[in-house]
Amino acid sequence: MTSREKVRRALAHQAGPVPVDFGSTGLTSLHVSCVAALRAHYGLDCHPVKVTEPFQMLGEVEDDLARALGSDCVAANGRGTMFGFPNEGWHEWRTPWGQVVLVAEGFRPREDASGDVYLFPEGDTTVAPSGHLPAGGYFFDAIVRQEPIDEDHLNAADNCEEFKLISTEDVAHWRREFARISGETRAVVSGIGGTGFGDIALVPAAFLKHPKGIRDITEWYVSLVDRRDYVHQVFAYQCEIALKNLATFAALAGDSIDVLMICGTDFGTQNSQFCSPATFDELYAPYYRQVNDWVHRHTPWKTFKHSCGAVRPLINRFIEVGFDILNPVQCSATDMDPVRLKADFGDRLVFWGGGVDTQHTLPFGTPAEVTAQVTARLRAFSPNGGFVFNTIHNVQARTPTANLIAMVDAVRAFNQAG
Amino acid sequence: MSLLTDLTAAVAAGKRIDTVRLTQELLTSGARPQDIVEQGLVPGMAIVGGQFKRNEIFVPEMLVAARAMKEALKLLEPLLASAGIKPKYTVIIGTVQGDLHDIGKNLISMMWRGAGFAVIDLGTNVSPERYVTAAQEHQAHIVGLSALLTTTMPAMKETVRLLKAAGLPHTKIMIGGAPITQAFADDIGADGYAADAGTAVDVARKLVGEAA
Repeated sequence: MTSREKVRRALAHQAGPVPVDFGSTGLTSLHVSCVAALRAHYGLDCHPVKVTEPFQMLGEVEDDLARALGSDCVAANGRGTMFGFPNEGWHEWRTPWGQVVLVAEGFRPREDASGDVYLFPEGDTTVAPSGHLPAGGYFFDAIVRQEPIDEDHLNAADNCEEFKLISTEDVAHWRREFARISGETRAVVSGIGGTGFGDIALVPAAFLKHPKGIRDITEWYVSLVDRRDYVHQVFAYQCEIALKNLATFAALAGDSIDVLMICGTDFGTQNSQFCSPATFDELYAPYYRQVNDWVHRHTPWKTFKHSCGAVRPLINRFIEVGFDILNPVQCSATDMDPVRLKADFGDRLVFWGGGVDTQHTLPFGTPAEVTAQVTARLRAFSPNGGFVFNTIHNVQARTPTANLIAMVDAVRAFNQAG
Repeated sequence: MSLLTDLTAAVAAGKRIDTVRLTQELLTSGARPQDIVEQGLVPGMAIVGGQFKRNEIFVPEMLVAARAMKEALKLLEPLLASAGIKPKYTVIIGTVQGDLHDIGKNLISMMWRGAGFAVIDLGTNVSPERYVTAAQEHQAHIVGLSALLTTTMPAMKETVRLLKAAGLPHTKIMIGGAPITQAFADDIGADGYAADAGTAVDVARKLVGEAA
């Protein structure tokens, strides 16, 4: 059975070996420092690792490492990054933690006297920076560049600058990308951007030089209550563009891909949700339904919804609006017990994640504790398919390599035991 | 209903314009600013905290209520200051060194303001030394530390160590944030842990010796 067949069985809720994903999306990957550590552990060539996603400083899981980790999935990536520059033209950069990595040409950092590092939208160092990695840190965070809000003259078009039709350059890129993965025996995960609604990570628009509209995180959340018509206008325009782009993309991708990443909007906190079920129904559901319906009517792809946190009260709604897959399945959040999730939703929803806790067990536990949790999660989620093993969100910097190895070995042992 | 009751309801519902109007009307009618805060705004935000804890409202509604309260405080704080009236308790809050995330920190800051505390917000990426200096300068009753990242939890531990070493007998330390647990709080010697912005008020009140 190929990796792709394993994943397809799991997606079809059929029993079989548990497929694994490390690195197919910006939400199921590893910090670049962990990628280098794993390469060293497995005796792979220790060249500088590519930073495929500069915001979270995620490292490329190359084919040799994917084999070592037993990953069954691979990405078909778009051109862009969170900072608006394309992922091309690689050069070396020494990170603040002393690792030499490869970064894209547009990654033009500026370091201040205190050791803080700044990145610029589209790599344009003549405009204000949009990303900030504090001294001693391992990740960038978006710099909010909110212009004064004039309540009487708000224009939803200002929040739509980033939603554009797929360009000629993008079409050429996708053609190259699909040629690269042709004949791939792993499951292919892809995404076109612009299909998720209200993702708070994208609201500050670190990729835009002069973002307009509502770009402050607090103001965005306030807008969900106080400026709901405005948000509807943004989502409606975004949805219109997304549907057109899906048609373009589907014509290029054909049956090359298996899973389409739709949305990274977090609806959960550690203990609660970011909105009520009623708000979800009124504000989000109409647009998610259009996107998911389009995908299901025109392609065999499964649609992938990411949301951290305690989202149990919303899971039925995720299913109703057409999502096939939930990630990262944050079992440490309130009411996210894996056994109950599987019992209540496991026949209708694929859990892609939930494999091990990246806030506590994986970074701070012992290898034995990692093994125990991974094994318990495999037992909970794997019956009758519907499960792709992945950590709960990206593996964070400073995670002990021994714990990562314990995780990989536990999955392998579980599958070998049958 | 009295104007104060109306004000409480307006804050709880996040009605900014009504909140400001009612505050102004109360001032015009001769109400004391401290009574408007204590009998109008604080009960309103207490309602918000309770609804949040019971999952009846969510982060956006809480932010809208806090914004209404903030607008009212803009009218009241200069009057309170000129009358020499200070909040009974001063709290300091910040996100620890290496961490730039502030949604949770800002929510708790708003809820503490809504509980009638004087809040000194140090912002994000705050060094352990800055916490200590601020705690000494403001004679803080509570220092609140927030962290989102697992990689910045060691900075939280170091900050707690320095605050303890600084010998501030009347200053309690509270921590919170996505990866933080009561066990971690106990491990690093923090005096209190709050899982969310709703319980942060209860925990803070207990730490300063007031019933939650």
